Amino acid sequence: MNVIDVDDVSKAYGDVQALDGLSLSVEQGATLGVFGTNGAGKTTLFKLLAGLNRPDEGSVSVAGADPTDGTTVRERVRYLPEHAGFPPSLTGREILSFHARMRSVPREDRNHHVERILHTVGLADAADRRVGGYSNGMNRRLGLGTALVGEPAVLILDEPTAGLDPDGIRAFHEVVESLASETDVTIVFSSHALGEIQRLCSEAVIIADGQVATAGPVEELRRAAADEVTVSLSLASAAAASDVAADLGNHEGVSTVSRSGKDVTAETTPAEAYDHLTTIGEGYDIDRFEVREPGLEAAFHEAVRADGGDGSDSDGTAATAAAEAATEDSGGEPA
Amino acid sequence: MSEDDSSTDPAPDGGVVAADAPATRLHDGGTERSTATDAADESTLARLADSSLLTIARREYRLAVRSRWALGVALLFGLFTTAVVQFGASSVGPGRFDAVIATIAELGVYLVPLTALAVGYDAIVGADERGSLELMLALPVTKGRVVVGTAIGRAAVLSGAMLLGFVPGALLTVRYIGLASVGQYAAVALAAVLTACAMLGVAVLVSTVSRTKTHALGAALAIWLWVALLHDLVALGAVAGFDLGSGAIAAAILLNPVDCFRVLALSQVDVVAGGFGSVLAQAGLTTPMVAAGLVAWVVVPVGVAAKLIQRRRL
Repeated sequence: MNVIDVDDVSKAYGDVQALDGLSLSVEQGATLGVFGTNGAGKTTLFKLLAGLNRPDEGSVSVAGADPTDGTTVRERVRYLPEHAGFPPSLTGREILSFHARMRSVPREDRNHHVERILHTVGLADAADRRVGGYSNGMNRRLGLGTALVGEPAVLILDEPTAGLDPDGIRAFHEVVESLASETDVTIVFSSHALGEIQRLCSEAVIIADGQVATAGPVEELRRAAADEVTVSLSLASAAAASDVAADLGNHEGVSTVSRSGKDVTAETTPAEAYDHLTTIGEGYDIDRFEVREPGLEAAFHEAVRADGGDGSDSDGTAATAAAEAATEDSGGEPA
Repeated sequence: MSEDDSSTDPAPDGGVVAADAPATRLHDGGTERSTATDAADESTLARLADSSLLTIARREYRLAVRSRWALGVALLFGLFTTAVVQFGASSVGPGRFDAVIATIAELGVYLVPLTALAVGYDAIVGADERGSLELMLALPVTKGRVVVGTAIGRAAVLSGAMLLGFVPGALLTVRYIGLASVGQYAAVALAAVLTACAMLGVAVLVSTVSRTKTHALGAALAIWLWVALLHDLVALGAVAGFDLGSGAIAAAILLNPVDCFRVLALSQVDVVAGGFGSVLAQAGLTTPMVAAGLVAWVVVPVGVAAKLIQRRRL
């Protein structure tokens, strides 16, 4: 059963077409990762889902209702904006208590509920400090805390881990994994860290230029985008690297080879990758190697290319983040 | 950790329980179900206290008190009323008290709207720039209620601070004039508070339609200039130049909350002073009519703001 249905939605801000006929469905209980280039329309989509804006065309349904029709949807949906902020003179506890009261958490449960959330997001020790003294990461944690107040049916989180330190990211991952495994809460979140989406999400959607470039189960997206692994080697000398690059280039199973100094990178099939490594290891001293499986990064690049290909400027940030984040690595010293 | 563990441990540590908490709530039963079950037990007062409107107003009240502008307003009006009464009424006599009221009316037309506009201009746009408006509007409350709750909270603090500021003047009035004058003084104080609430409503409207705090501040200053100075000049010019009747004069008064304040304040004394006040006698207005006009100035701008926030781009 779909809990979110977005049908041919368009939204423009003046001359800027933020969404252009976007359609999307999310099943109840799914964890959906949304990623795309900067300005692709992710935040606009989230605001439509939260009922903060109305689409110019098309329809949006969340939990069976129009998000802009009264407060019914907002009772079940939690939305954490990318740039969520709080009045600096309130404490973290006061802010969560306010949200609990607004969310009709029963009076007798309220304090306990707030206390648990403070622990959940790791702010128990700073609960009674004014938010004005919080770091950016603490503010993000508090924002995540507000999204957990009450009994959410759908969580819509716009870049929830942006600005979080590793502990905060870990706490977020634990919350999402717990909700995904133990409840039927539907979670939709955007992130430029594709590894995060790979780890947490069952489904992913790539948005480009206000449209869905591609969508589906994460594993399918990964496999569809690329069936090769990337082998990276560091050799003892540049001359050895040059020889290895030449050898690898002569193999039919190796599609591309590149060399930079003592480093060689090649793309080949997973089955042949370790054969190549063994062969090279017999002839040369390998300082370090790495075999990287295809990730959402490849799906992202393919989707953006297919969508028009001028990702050189606007895609830069996302692509860089993808390259840094979307890896499933195996590597180490050769035996 | 099991559900039982997480539901009975009141002081869990961070990680594991953290992840359990949301799930546990869902397994243990819901907020909405509990609310429905317990609703009958809650008193009307408790439900009212938890209503979204009052919850927002209470939060706004708390913010305003902590921001210290409430203290500033109280001190400002305390100094203002102390100075006016001390210098105006220290020579005993009914005429001196009339001069005090007239002075409060004449200086209040500048001070009261300026204070209210300063208090309210960032009510909505400030929250938007801070990033808290989106979070607020994502709660199960209508956008209009957010505006009204914000206005109520700020109005409560502004009113309280102003009334506190009028207390020193009241004490001095009792000392110099006697208890008999307190009623008139209180009427002027209440008129000032009502006028402040009206101008606060205008400020909230400005804040709702402004894209940035800077724009809102500029618009608020322009409005202050209009209500405190230009409106009277234009109205006087129109009345004198086009020989307009008493209906036009009444309309001119009712169209400016500051003039309403002046009328209400000066109705407490026999003197007629300054600017637009010289033609008040011809207007045919009664005190209740002007008070009703001022109440409309409180309600209408906030109501319009509650409508216009639907169009605000988030």
